[in-house]
Amino acid sequence: MSDKAGTAHLIGRISALCLFGLAVAYGIGGASIEYAFSSDPLGPRMVPVGLAIILGLLCLLYVRSPGTAEAFPSGRLLWRVLAVPLLLVVCIAIFETVGFAVSIFLLTFGTGLIFGAPLGYAAVGAAGHAALWWFIFSYLLQVYLPTGTLFG
Amino acid sequence: MNLDYLWHGFAVALTGQNLLVGLIGCFIGTLVGALPAIGPINGIALLLPIAYSMGLPAESTMILLSAIYCGAEYGGRISSILLNVPGDAGAVMTALDGYPMARQGRAGEALTLSGISSFVGGILGSIGLALFAPVLASLAIGFGPAEYFVLMVFAFATLGSMVGNQPVKTLIGCTLGLMLATVGLDATSGAYRFTFNQPELGDGIEFVVLVIGLFSISEALVILEHQGRGFTVIRELGRMTVRAADVARCTGTMLRSSVIGFVVGVLPGTGASVSSAIAYTTEKRLSDTEDTFGKGDVRGLAAPEAANNATACGAFVPMLTLGIPGSGTTAVMLGALMLYNIQPGPMLLTERPEIVGGLVASLFIGNFLLLLLNLPLVNIFARVLTVPNWLLVPGILVLSIVGVYSSHASVFAIFLMFGIGMAGWLLRKAGFDMAPIILGFVLGHVMEINLRNALAISGGELSILFSSAICIVLWVMAAAVAVLPTILSWRSRRLKVARTARMAATDG
Repeated sequence: MSDKAGTAHLIGRISALCLFGLAVAYGIGGASIEYAFSSDPLGPRMVPVGLAIILGLLCLLYVRSPGTAEAFPSGRLLWRVLAVPLLLVVCIAIFETVGFAVSIFLLTFGTGLIFGAPLGYAAVGAAGHAALWWFIFSYLLQVYLPTGTLFG
Repeated sequence: MNLDYLWHGFAVALTGQNLLVGLIGCFIGTLVGALPAIGPINGIALLLPIAYSMGLPAESTMILLSAIYCGAEYGGRISSILLNVPGDAGAVMTALDGYPMARQGRAGEALTLSGISSFVGGILGSIGLALFAPVLASLAIGFGPAEYFVLMVFAFATLGSMVGNQPVKTLIGCTLGLMLATVGLDATSGAYRFTFNQPELGDGIEFVVLVIGLFSISEALVILEHQGRGFTVIRELGRMTVRAADVARCTGTMLRSSVIGFVVGVLPGTGASVSSAIAYTTEKRLSDTEDTFGKGDVRGLAAPEAANNATACGAFVPMLTLGIPGSGTTAVMLGALMLYNIQPGPMLLTERPEIVGGLVASLFIGNFLLLLLNLPLVNIFARVLTVPNWLLVPGILVLSIVGVYSSHASVFAIFLMFGIGMAGWLLRKAGFDMAPIILGFVLGHVMEINLRNALAISGGELSILFSSAICIVLWVMAAAVAVLPTILSWRSRRLKVARTARMAATDG
């Protein structure tokens, strides 16, 4: 078996195990749903339990033949890929506090850099993004966007 | 055949607002299709919350989304021809002859001819939809809860057997979608399911949150990983007109491929990638007498383009008449209808003719608009290919965040979208397709309600699911589409082994 196929099998098996764990947790959660009455014979538990069983069985098939998968990035690319969700989490967390303009500037500036823009281009692009989207949503489409509690 | 709904639809689609909405949709759709990074689902996912929060009526939203869908099918050809990278899945086959034509200095000719083929496919597909939708809707009008449940089982069986070469992953995707649909308040018992005491989850996972998470956030990471695979855009377009002889040579190809595309589109679970491949191989078998396919043959270019545009129209048939999406994109559009509390199905045509008629009529109008946009403005659309990712991807992320925030005004919803996006990225790495998850999610709620209603009617007797002729036919069809591909692949493997053994014996 080639390295690539071996990696695909490993990723497939790990995914199958994770999904199997999800099926078990979901099934247990489904079986313990509390309710006082139901107007139909199935009630709210049966469908989740049934789906958990189906997912569990499909995971067994999946473990047997994991099929193709794509290798995870490594080295510098891995750090760049991880930086995007990290940046997103920070920007979402501060979205209402610092407001749309600042958080979106940070997000677009950071992702611009991660995607290989030179510093100046990334800054200009980020300022452009913040201004353009603010104009489109807030002025043209009249969508409420937070201005930031930090700045009153 | 009663086509009153269509005339009513033209009255809706030809209003000033809807014409403008359609034109904007066609333009954005072509741009979205031209960009190799994002496809029609991404475009629709990003624009859906904006359309919703703008307060557009349901018919205008559907016109906008269908225009984006069809525009993307047109636009997909641009990067296939100029970049050898398909703009969307339906344009994969277009590159086979389109790119060689571009390298021969005939890029303009290829773009124009493929635009005409797209137009023929789109118009014939729209005619098929207009004629076929009322027939199917009238057949399905007698469906009860049991028939609906079995119909959805059939849709999942079709999907499992036809989408990709990993049916188990497709079925797991569907199941995950069904599981996500169970989150929230259960209307019949008043029980909260999987809400983890979060009031924001009481109404379930919002469709917009799921679709943007799966298709936009995960897409940004995929683009980052694939960045740096050098592509060269062909900038010399050459002559922008086509020879009458070439159009005449392609006429039969366009007509045949449109029919193939439409029929494939009607089948749930198949899509433009399947139809364009079938159309291309059919045309190659029928017409490639001089072995010119793959080397810049105009018929090899016309076949997939006509087919993928006809497929886009065909996919609306099961969505509008049965409430079953024919593709991932129509699954998103079905979810959009549900945002407006509109339940698609056979009654939609009689209860809300302005929506079905408006959509069908807008496809006719949209195809003319797309032809007008795509022939003279193709240079502008081609320039989109030079937009760098460092400018494009931040825009996708901003639209994702603002799209979710504009519909929910809640940071929790944005975090949920982010979490779903990360899960989507991990699933994509493991080789899962996102469309089955959306299909499962969209159908999950309706499927559960129909199952529970059917069993409530029968007093818990499962035999109700096999009680009518329609149910039995649907079960048989579901079993057939689930088992047939396995038998066919087993048979072809056996034939291959036998052939290899024969050749080895001859050599020996």
